[in-house]
Amino acid sequence: METLFDQELVVINMGLEDFAKTLKERGTRVMHVRWQPPAQGDADLLSLLDKLK
Amino acid sequence: MVIKTHILKNTFKDSVYLMRLSGTVREFEGVIEAEVIVGTDHNKKFLRSGGLWTDEIESEAGANDLIIAVKAEDEDKADQAIQGTLDEMSKAVDRENLLGDFIPRTFETALQNLSGANLALLSIPGRYVRREADQVLDAGLHLMIFSDNVSLEDEVALKKKALEKDLLVMGPDCGTAIINGIPLAFANEVREGKIGIVAAAGTGLQEVSSLIHNFGEGISQGIGTGGRDIKADVGGITMLQGLKALLADKNTEVVVIISKPPDSEVTEKVLEAAAKSKKPVVVNFLGGDLEQVREAGCEPAGTLKEAAQKAVNLSRGKDADSADSALKADSELVKKEKARFRDSQKYLRALYSGGTLAYELLVLLEGKVDSVYTNLGYKEVEKLADVYKSQDHTVIDFGEDEFTQGRLHPMIDPSLRNSRIVEEAKDPETAVIMLDLVLGYNAHHDPAGSALEAIKEARETAEKDGRQLSFVTTVCGTDEDVQNRGEQVAKLEEEGVLVFSSNAEAAVFTAELLSQ
Repeated sequence: METLFDQELVVINMGLEDFAKTLKERGTRVMHVRWQPPAQGDADLLSLLDKLK
Repeated sequence: MVIKTHILKNTFKDSVYLMRLSGTVREFEGVIEAEVIVGTDHNKKFLRSGGLWTDEIESEAGANDLIIAVKAEDEDKADQAIQGTLDEMSKAVDRENLLGDFIPRTFETALQNLSGANLALLSIPGRYVRREADQVLDAGLHLMIFSDNVSLEDEVALKKKALEKDLLVMGPDCGTAIINGIPLAFANEVREGKIGIVAAAGTGLQEVSSLIHNFGEGISQGIGTGGRDIKADVGGITMLQGLKALLADKNTEVVVIISKPPDSEVTEKVLEAAAKSKKPVVVNFLGGDLEQVREAGCEPAGTLKEAAQKAVNLSRGKDADSADSALKADSELVKKEKARFRDSQKYLRALYSGGTLAYELLVLLEGKVDSVYTNLGYKEVEKLADVYKSQDHTVIDFGEDEFTQGRLHPMIDPSLRNSRIVEEAKDPETAVIMLDLVLGYNAHHDPAGSALEAIKEARETAEKDGRQLSFVTTVCGTDEDVQNRGEQVAKLEEEGVLVFSSNAEAAVFTAELLSQ
């Protein structure tokens, strides 16, 4: 785990955009994921998709 | 009265943006209630139960659509509010470009397009965290989970998986971290240095890292674990991983551990791991057993301030203890403030936004003042019967779930706390109003300015009734924060508000003020 401390921090941000924007403004390498609920938020469809995996 | 809705097809905005926007819509003239919300099944149920339901939602809105729902006095007012919301959304494109032209929709695509990615920051609804977090760990990335409402079962499973892969899972409900000098989520801008922190207490990490900076030293790493990590069920997995990593880290010379008293087995494991190292380890188990820490060969700290001070002293090659660590209230100032109160004014109303800071206040009031009520759990301190109504000495954390359901955290939107400040001023028994102002990334842009509006109104209310209130505050942050601590403090002091450099000093002063 110590290797993390020796590397440049490179972040994938999922959810709140502000977290990615703050990092970007500060010069950190970050990619924002415009995350949306899988299966369009349909709980039944989601559980089917999980079974298929 | 009329309910109108407007559906925007295939439009996605994050929850913080939408809560801010909902707040704006509610301020339009003639609006009784309003929500701007994504059309998921869960949200639709919420709108139906909240009386914001229309046939249009039923037939048109899906999980990829945005619903603007307005209950207003009449049709015109509702139309104006909906149009105003659309105008507001078209204006808010200023910082949008920061995200770049390519914004992927899945973790997998992001991973393919960002070389060297080594940490994922998750702030998605808790029930979806497990799916995404599993993918992140399978891809070999470390994780910070800001989301709450993740089940205990999921937390344990994710942390065990991460441990096998030698990866770190900070959170769930981890509000702040500093990794390789980079502040994540609600962190403060502090200089890099030799002191590493591992904390199961969000604002505890903010307070200690800020104080270390303000005392002239810096932070190597600030690892957050999430509050549940130290319970028996999780067994302190992240706390122990973080501690061991800091003890092995070549840039860390002193380690600080901050948390509420952990489960007894976790405490033993943490102290055992700390004792094995040659590096000094300062431990602040808020309100915990100092002697147990000392016996284990670690340096006990009774307060967050003391933890910061001892770590700074040790990092400078001095003894941990110094005159600076002692906390004592200025007796002249106590006398001066005391002289303001009329006989009826006996009680403290502490209105906090930082959970750990409120908890530390409870620790420091213990044995000094009687009859304390709170919405937090601390030893024998009584719970408030109604969190919206203070009783005797009251300590409230506005960051608790009862205040944040469907609403932004008070560090971002202090409006609920501000109205409570004014409310407390009406009570002839209120003597002291205590506030914590937490600065840093993603927090409110001017907490002091916002609080002062309420403070002025509260003062006027009390003065009309021939009373004077004492306002005691602490500002958590640094001069490097976007809000600039020095400027925030000056603003408060100009208005006669007492500002202390740490929460512990504010608490000790208040305890003295009320115990005489």
